[in-house]
Amino acid sequence: MNKEEILSKVTEAFVSVLEHNNFQLTDETTADDVDGWESVTHMMIITEVEKTFNIKFKLMDLMNMNNVGDLIKTITSELGQ
Amino acid sequence: MKFVKRLQESIEKHADHNVLCINGVFYTYADFAIEISKIRSAIVNTIDDSEKLIGLVTNDDIQTYASIIALWLEGKAYVPVNPIAPIERNTKVFELTETKYVIDSSETSIYKDHIVIASKSLPEAEINLKPKEFSGDQLAYILFTSGTTGLPKGVPITFDNVEGLIYAIDEEPDFNLVPSDRCLQMFELTFDFSVVTYLFPLLAGSCIYTIPKGAIKYFYIFKLIKEQKLTVLTMVPSIINYLRPYFPEINAPDVRYCSFGGGALHSDIAKEWSDCLPNCKIFNYYGPTEFTVYSGFYPYHKETDTKNHNGIIAIGTPQAGTSYLVVDENNKEVPVGVTGELCLGGAQITPGYWRNPEKNAQSFFTRVEESKSIRYYKTGDLCLKDEEGDYLYVGRADFQVKIRGYRVELAEIEFHAKAKSEKKVNMVALDITNNLGNAELGLAIESDEFDTSEIFEHMKSKMPDYMIPMHVRFVKEFPHSINGKINRKELKTYFDIN
Repeated sequence: MNKEEILSKVTEAFVSVLEHNNFQLTDETTADDVDGWESVTHMMIITEVEKTFNIKFKLMDLMNMNNVGDLIKTITSELGQ
Repeated sequence: MKFVKRLQESIEKHADHNVLCINGVFYTYADFAIEISKIRSAIVNTIDDSEKLIGLVTNDDIQTYASIIALWLEGKAYVPVNPIAPIERNTKVFELTETKYVIDSSETSIYKDHIVIASKSLPEAEINLKPKEFSGDQLAYILFTSGTTGLPKGVPITFDNVEGLIYAIDEEPDFNLVPSDRCLQMFELTFDFSVVTYLFPLLAGSCIYTIPKGAIKYFYIFKLIKEQKLTVLTMVPSIINYLRPYFPEINAPDVRYCSFGGGALHSDIAKEWSDCLPNCKIFNYYGPTEFTVYSGFYPYHKETDTKNHNGIIAIGTPQAGTSYLVVDENNKEVPVGVTGELCLGGAQITPGYWRNPEKNAQSFFTRVEESKSIRYYKTGDLCLKDEEGDYLYVGRADFQVKIRGYRVELAEIEFHAKAKSEKKVNMVALDITNNLGNAELGLAIESDEFDTSEIFEHMKSKMPDYMIPMHVRFVKEFPHSINGKINRKELKTYFDIN
């Protein structure tokens, strides 16, 4: 799976949890940039992403995730790519 | 005021210790003394002595914490407002308290109709931490909670009330903070639980670690525990509910104390969490805002002290200076083992809701004990006292509903629903009114849809048929109030049964 495909699936997960698509995800996007992305919805997005890619994040990785770029990097490494 | 004097002594004595860690930046008690003195000087120069209630915008910075201490040194109360709450609500709070002055560390203040002390850009001032003389019945803070009528409900707390809280904690030999402690402060300052998470560390010379606004708090807390090696945690149970999937990865040997409060602590998750904290004492605290944060606790231990009722850990015994009384509808004490409404008496009781005589008449009463008149606050929580003198939490009085004439405890349904579920998910029982005006039971499950037949079979084996929920809804994420409690009222809207 290339980065664009991962980003597109991640975007779908965001849309399904936040129930809107008024955002454009880039590597630098953080919770401050997206309406409704906060502590509780973040936990839902993480669960949704885990389901989509059939992976399980480690707490250590989640702890250091500061933006969408970090999320994509972690997905990539979990997928073993 | 004794505790304000002790704050002065602690700040002076621990000058070279860290007081706060905010967003990775450390501040010392010496830095804190400088900020307090600047703000205090601005208060003295700007605010008339007769003005006692001062607004405070609760940003996550050293100035906001320093403002609380500066106000207390001057014998004034803080009226906190959350910068992310709607401005209409915040100005309503200031209107209800007739607050004219607001201390605000924001870059630009939105409180244009108030006189604002911009606490981030104040001139240097001489260090001045000596408290003024003032009487203990003056207010230390007023917090507003959501009222049933839509108008926020104010709970004023006096300096004497806070003194009562500190006396109770000092009397408790099992809880002693030391200057080397590193303490979590995860609460919004408009939530009363925050009082113990900044005040106790300040009195001990310990360091307070805050959660930046906008951080993913569950992971940030874990990061602080892991990287900063926190020693003292004070949390609401919903935090560990979210961290539960990751418990196998958590091992925090540095944590000495973990205090829970602000919601029911369930025995299964308490046990699992306790496994993550091998060297920790766990306290299950109980107490409403109206009684100055804490009124007592149960010392939980996963092997030796696991007393619970329907899976909810006991709330133990009242702390020093507090009396518990369990009463019936007529405010008469009920016998041991009988469920009634828990009432609290003692030095920590609020003087009463802010300008709300109707609510005060309902929520407070006096009772003569040994020829002394004791004033009690009715908590709205149902409890029972066991033979050993421990108090057990049964549920909210307003969660006791009548179904087909039977009294039903919603917590009991939740307990049995969760008991046999393979999925460790949140479940909440709710009373839903049908179009005939009768209450029917609903079960909300925080999960994607799954087969519930086993859960229902188990419930049917444990409870009479009128207690079995008739409606089930799967909700991806339960709605929460700003304080992290499940918003039952909103959850009910998922049940469109008519």
